[in-house]
Amino acid sequence: MATRTLRVDAIARVEGEGALDLDIRDGRVASARLRIFEPPRFFEAILRGRGHEEAPDIAARICGICPIAYQMSAVHAIEQAFGARVEGPLRQLRRLIYCGEWIESHALHIVLLHAPDFLGFEDGIRMARDHGDRVRAGLALKKAGNEIMRVLGGREIHPVNVRPGGFHRVPTRAELEPLATQLVEARAHAVDLLRWVATFPFPEFERDYEFVGLRHPDEYPFNEGRLVSNRGIDIDIADFDREFEERQVEYSTALQAVTRRGGAYLVGPLARYALNFDRLPASIQDLSRDCGLGPVCRNPFRSIIVRSIEAVYACEEALRIIQDYEPPELAAVPLTPRAGTGYGCTEAPRGICWHRYEFEADGTIRAARIVPPTSQNQASIEADMAAIATSLLDRPDEILRERCEQGIRNHDPCISCATHFLTLNVHRK
Amino acid sequence: MIRIEHSVGIIGIGNPDRGDDGIGLRVVADLAARLPQRCKVMACSGDVLSLVNEWRHWDAVVCVDAAEPDGRPGRIRRFDLAVTRLPVLRSSVSSHAVGLSEAIALAKALHCLPPRVIVYAVEGSQFGLGAGLSPKVERAIARVAARVDEDIRLLASGSSDHHNEFLHESLQR
Repeated sequence: MATRTLRVDAIARVEGEGALDLDIRDGRVASARLRIFEPPRFFEAILRGRGHEEAPDIAARICGICPIAYQMSAVHAIEQAFGARVEGPLRQLRRLIYCGEWIESHALHIVLLHAPDFLGFEDGIRMARDHGDRVRAGLALKKAGNEIMRVLGGREIHPVNVRPGGFHRVPTRAELEPLATQLVEARAHAVDLLRWVATFPFPEFERDYEFVGLRHPDEYPFNEGRLVSNRGIDIDIADFDREFEERQVEYSTALQAVTRRGGAYLVGPLARYALNFDRLPASIQDLSRDCGLGPVCRNPFRSIIVRSIEAVYACEEALRIIQDYEPPELAAVPLTPRAGTGYGCTEAPRGICWHRYEFEADGTIRAARIVPPTSQNQASIEADMAAIATSLLDRPDEILRERCEQGIRNHDPCISCATHFLTLNVHRK
Repeated sequence: MIRIEHSVGIIGIGNPDRGDDGIGLRVVADLAARLPQRCKVMACSGDVLSLVNEWRHWDAVVCVDAAEPDGRPGRIRRFDLAVTRLPVLRSSVSSHAVGLSEAIALAKALHCLPPRVIVYAVEGSQFGLGAGLSPKVERAIARVAARVDEDIRLLASGSSDHHNEFLHESLQR
């Protein structure tokens, strides 16, 4: 029996610590395992017994690049449990800060983490010597996202201004206006990057994903919507467990989420785009078509194009919100705690981030459950790896290894977020 | 009287709410009131990547950052990048949190790096939430600020010796 075992022991240019094991037996891929070995982080246990006001700031610490996703999912869950709605300018400000997060996260991934794969560079720094203008454009785009976070969130990394009901302080019009100037330039940079990445050489590779994401009646989704898929799922976010389940696999400290009906599914830019193309403004749809994308993209290598489209959209949406902004009378809607359960699901740059909290009558958190995007994508990433390896079985290990690493980076996984839970078995004699 | 020829940016890097990580900010705050013309202090508490495009506006840059613990809290190291490379000051597996050495490497690749860059790294001992500076790091402020002040004046006048120094011995006195 001919056996090839490929191991990539530390996957580069992804957030966190993970590895890939690929077993090929008798000319076919026997298994592809995304091994996440980053230590468990116990955030759900840390949240237990804490006041509801603490949830957004504690949950934000799960991730340094998508803290807003965790804050937003937490505050929506809290507000749902306490029967409050956040509307008007406060709701718009939430979309604005989410635009900031998408811009900074997507800009970093497009230019410094993903583009080097297509142009044959080991990393973004080496690529910068030959593609300086694009890297500078990416950095300027990222800076515009950082600025939104700083102005609205209080600081660029781990913003501190989000609270249940709204914000601790809302900006004045004058404080937001300088962002608009920066965002006009940032949009131009994003379009420039979009046209650049669209010229990359992409492998002919498609997979028939079950795409899962939020869908809102009017908007390209950030904070709200029903949970839908291209294979018929259409549920309230509270019914997540009816359609999805998390399972533990022995080789990973992250739980893997699968659909109850069929298995692996994909969240993130490819899913959002496919499920919500008709919610993008006509100008962005036209840009997509100009770059050779239809309303659905099943080639994960081309996710860099979709991420760039979303970066353009986030700049436009941020500009629209700033132009229409009238400061609200109150920085936060008053909340009255009560016993109950609340759900939040929002679109992190990498896909849906689902939260469920149970509260005591005084608002203390009794139980918390958090399903980050990367744990939902693990099974799809493994299926991608198996398919990529199958298409390259006759190629040398080095090519196979490179293409698999690239295949993982296609989904911009945040392994630190996904690391989740470890069963501790103590045997005493 | 110093003849001002060059612009100098002085950047303090760190998080003021994380113990000794705040040293860089404290040093530039100390310097802010006594700068020559065409010199400016800046604080960077977030993404150092955002500095990359800014560096090109300066003829010279001095950065002050905290270094990870290595058994000698308060030890000051000075790296003149004209004659040496900056070691990776912080071990990290993160691709999303970029350190100063990576940002400098990127700026160099992009031709954004000024001809003269000097980095001061002050070894910390504790980085707890809401903690102030530890006593040895607190005592390092005046000494780092004095040395940076000397550098600024030489850089602004268009000259400076190239040298790297370990200043910990004098600090231990």
